[in-house]
Amino acid sequence: MVEKKHISLTVNGEKKEADVEPRLLLVHYLRDNLGLTGTHVGCDTTNCGACTVILDGRAVKSCTVLAVQANGKRVLTIEGLSPDKNRLHPIQKAFIDKDAFQCGYCTSGMIMTTFAILKKHKKLTEEEIRAALSGNLCRCTGYDNIVDAVKEAEENVEEEGIELEEPEPVRVRR
Amino acid sequence: MIPPEFDYYSPTGIKEAVELLSKFGEDAKVLAGGQSLIPMLKLRVTSIPVLVSLSDIKELDYVEARRDGLHIGAMTRVADLEDSSAIDKSLAIIPQAASKIADPLVRNMGTAGGNISHADPSNDLPAVMLALGAKFKVYGKGGERVLDSRDFFLDAYTTALNRDEIVTEIIVPKWKAGSRGVYLKMRKRAADFSIAGVAVQLEFNDGEVSKAGLATTSLNPVAKKITEAEDMITGKALNDALIDKVSNLVAESCDPASDLYGSAEFKRKLARRLTSEALLTISKMR
Amino acid sequence: MTSKFDERFVNGTARYVDDLTFPGMLYLGIVRSPYARARIIDIRGGITHKDLPLKLSSVGEGATEGFEFLEHPVLANKYVGYVGQPVAAVFSENRYAVEDLIESVDVSYEPLKPIMDPEESLRSEPMYPGLKSNILFDKYRGNDFEIKDAPIVLEDKLINKRISANPIEPRGVLAAYDGKRLTVWISTQSVHSIKEGFCETLNLKPENVRVIQADTGGAFGTKGGIYPEYVIAAAIAMREKRPVKWIETRSEHLLATRSGRGAIGKMKLYADRSGRILGLKGDVIVDTGAFAGGSGEFSAPFIAMQITGPYHIRNAYIHAMSVLTNKVVQGPYRGAGRPEASFFMERMVDMLADEIGKDPVDVRILNATTAPFKSPTGLEVEASRPFIEAAVRELEYEKYRGKKGVGFSFFVLVPATMPGESAKIAVEGERVKVWLGGNAHGQRHDRFVETILKNELDVPADFIDFQLGDTDQTESGVGSWGSRSAMMGGSALILAARKLKSQVEAKHGRYSPKLLLQGKWEVFEFFNYDKHLNSLGANLVYAETGSLGEIRIKECLSYYDVGIPLNERNVINQIVGGCAQGVGQTLFEELAFDDNGQLITSSIADSGVPRADLLPRFKAKLHRNPSSLPSGSKGVGESPTIGVPSALVRAVETIAGVRIRETPINQEKLLESLRIV
Repeated sequence: MVEKKHISLTVNGEKKEADVEPRLLLVHYLRDNLGLTGTHVGCDTTNCGACTVILDGRAVKSCTVLAVQANGKRVLTIEGLSPDKNRLHPIQKAFIDKDAFQCGYCTSGMIMTTFAILKKHKKLTEEEIRAALSGNLCRCTGYDNIVDAVKEAEENVEEEGIELEEPEPVRVRR
Repeated sequence: MIPPEFDYYSPTGIKEAVELLSKFGEDAKVLAGGQSLIPMLKLRVTSIPVLVSLSDIKELDYVEARRDGLHIGAMTRVADLEDSSAIDKSLAIIPQAASKIADPLVRNMGTAGGNISHADPSNDLPAVMLALGAKFKVYGKGGERVLDSRDFFLDAYTTALNRDEIVTEIIVPKWKAGSRGVYLKMRKRAADFSIAGVAVQLEFNDGEVSKAGLATTSLNPVAKKITEAEDMITGKALNDALIDKVSNLVAESCDPASDLYGSAEFKRKLARRLTSEALLTISKMR
Repeated sequence: MTSKFDERFVNGTARYVDDLTFPGMLYLGIVRSPYARARIIDIRGGITHKDLPLKLSSVGEGATEGFEFLEHPVLANKYVGYVGQPVAAVFSENRYAVEDLIESVDVSYEPLKPIMDPEESLRSEPMYPGLKSNILFDKYRGNDFEIKDAPIVLEDKLINKRISANPIEPRGVLAAYDGKRLTVWISTQSVHSIKEGFCETLNLKPENVRVIQADTGGAFGTKGGIYPEYVIAAAIAMREKRPVKWIETRSEHLLATRSGRGAIGKMKLYADRSGRILGLKGDVIVDTGAFAGGSGEFSAPFIAMQITGPYHIRNAYIHAMSVLTNKVVQGPYRGAGRPEASFFMERMVDMLADEIGKDPVDVRILNATTAPFKSPTGLEVEASRPFIEAAVRELEYEKYRGKKGVGFSFFVLVPATMPGESAKIAVEGERVKVWLGGNAHGQRHDRFVETILKNELDVPADFIDFQLGDTDQTESGVGSWGSRSAMMGGSALILAARKLKSQVEAKHGRYSPKLLLQGKWEVFEFFNYDKHLNSLGANLVYAETGSLGEIRIKECLSYYDVGIPLNERNVINQIVGGCAQGVGQTLFEELAFDDNGQLITSSIADSGVPRADLLPRFKAKLHRNPSSLPSGSKGVGESPTIGVPSALVRAVETIAGVRIRETPINQEKLLESLRIV
């Protein structure tokens, strides 16, 4: 039996500590240890991107990151995008507006990748958006509506003047 | 889906990393971005008792243009190769090839050093570095040494690294202003890995090619530098006849396997076509 | 408070099976055969056939009966027939430990030579002792005929290779047992089929089984039937009295989830020089996999029945066979025989057009039916000529006529209407809960539910809570597959709503939504429907090839008769998603095996699911010829998978100048034809 390793990281703005097996995948740490089941597992060959989260500001496939590799880092998951359940993030709104999901299983990943895309780029072309989404597979929609949602999300973000910083968690008064 | 058990170390310095590799010998492997290694572990095609992670070694992440060339730290994420302002236009083949590796998410974790060291016959950076005539700085128990890329890729998943050595830096020599290169890759249907890939980099002097770099991906057990092709182009002006001759030579240099994606003969013809296409593309870039 | 079905998918609060955990829960792992064909010598460890000597019953879409001698054993008994076949089971409280446990089970095999190709199988020794051949199903449809001196006789062999449905969420199940009742949460298209499967396979009384649908991450045909892993999970839950969860990995999905297509059509077309089709003969050979109970026995005659398409073909005689191979059993995948039938017919029509030098669309118009027609193979078609003429107009075919890179397809959609569907409405506390007997898995049935309740009961969407499937809530139901839900489920809901309205009127003397919402009501309705309700469709593809032979689709246009769409956005979304799958089948997708039966295309990417940067934009226009149903709607879900492949293949072959006979298109042959290499 291998010794567990201690990790200390920030998830959706909250400090987390745990002792984990080195082989524990970040996606399972988020889902099983923290109960953040919005991030999904869709494949086992690092293709589908259903597991996409933001790690230290970059969109990554959390199924191909060890929890121990995330030690000392910041993780943002779909749950962290709208810490206030009554207020959707502009990207989430755009996905609803544009019917950018059907079964919803790839959607968390698509939204997190969109978040990362919009942090970095302005006025992407259709082709550039599709290339930026090439790490996220969808089997239901055929992608047209997702591309439209990315375009609309960019407009939403500009309009609402929201900085694409990783959102502060909502402080809950107990 | 779940890796087998392994032990994990995350040293904060290169010396410490090398000591760990030395200590655990064949039981240990370097973990860079993990985008090649972790998938292999998840499918249990390999078992590695000890992973030595480089992610806490901060000083390996940089892209710097210096007097003697472009220095790329081994832990530079492939994504950063796509848009680094330190990469001159003469080395545009680097961001162009980087943008064809896997997908943007994998590129955010995958590293330049990892893509070089893993030596999967379908990894893309090896052919690019071979074409550019890059050197690799490595550090091991015996200290630091610099390996020429042409001596580095020995066979599938096999490099000239000793067991206790880590690639710390890629050094791309300066290519004169006006140099142009391109990496063409024919994918396997909807997947990322290629059936064939060709990297070409040319330097020009007065309309003639003064220096040439040419290497292939997926057409041999490991990325291969085609020096005869490079020699054939050097000192000449690009024209259709020369392009034909070079392309045929590259085709003959390949030893691809017949598989679902095509016969060996087809892949050689593909190599020929990709080479001519690359050369034509470069000649139009001027 | 409003309950919006949408938000759960964008804020991570949807609850798919793997999101559910219960105290004391165990994870199930399956030890699978590494050989495509072998005799099992010994198994050490795990739960095996000795502990669970059960056979899988055939339920759901394409279910068949009468092949009990070749039913799929829940756990392999003496022999294995495909790589990935379940051989033993292990479980643990720890998800990670389960994969270690799988490796700890020691199985020894005597490998045998597998049969991977269906035509080879026809010529081979029987796969199992006691069989006369490897033909599982062997019947003719239509009537034999002779056309002496037919001016044109064309023959060709056409192939659709096996492909994986690949929903982004693989299969999953969570079974719990309280000592009396088995409750199962599952990713599914039909809680009722799953329940039937559990009852039959495990010999349980219906009142002791409850199946609840979790949010379901796509299915495309794979999640309507019962599988060994589900049964094993239930059996262990019952034995251990602890909840047992099984979540499929993608690798398992590619090997052990019933995969689709896998058919060969050897066609013979008789015609005259004007292009009129005089007769059609053919052998349809379905690659059915290693056991009975999948859809292979269903799809062979189903393909044969509808192969005549929207054409007036008075002579047809089709030999329909399903043949054993050492692969996972064939299962329905979006289309389930319909795409294959259309591919075989449309390729012959294009061949005829080339033979006589006539425009392929003109040949189709010539052969379209001008009055309702029942073909010799049993396909019922309305007068299809008005539709194709409308399609030619709406798709602006004249812009493309005569150009290279253009393909047109014309087809009949035969939805799985029978036996109808159920719906239930329950009103309490000012909320209107709705269940449909067939379970949505991305199609957004909640939206057409809103439309219907607005139209019938004037209830605003805000008051509606669309429910996932639950066999405790609907006493019966069929399933969501075969392009049937808006038609059958929608009709059931309309009737249920009307029943509800009369109940309100009976009690209060009049109806108003306020009166409805203030009361407590419950209505269940099963809409019986035992007829076909077919509809027509057409696709136009315009493509170019790039300098390295890359196929660039410039236009992929759909024109389908959907009757009165209950929710137009839903319909368009279904069409776009289906077109992506049609392109996938044609250009990228394949489950390819080597001679030893090992899967070569062993990742979701290698098996061909297209990325966003590999697909074009898709456009659709709707033809609205109302059906006789209460909703006026017609089917649509599978139309794109039927129409796109033959149109795209045709578009590409006109550029290549060489006939293309199979999906996926062979890249080596294509690049050679294009003189790229």
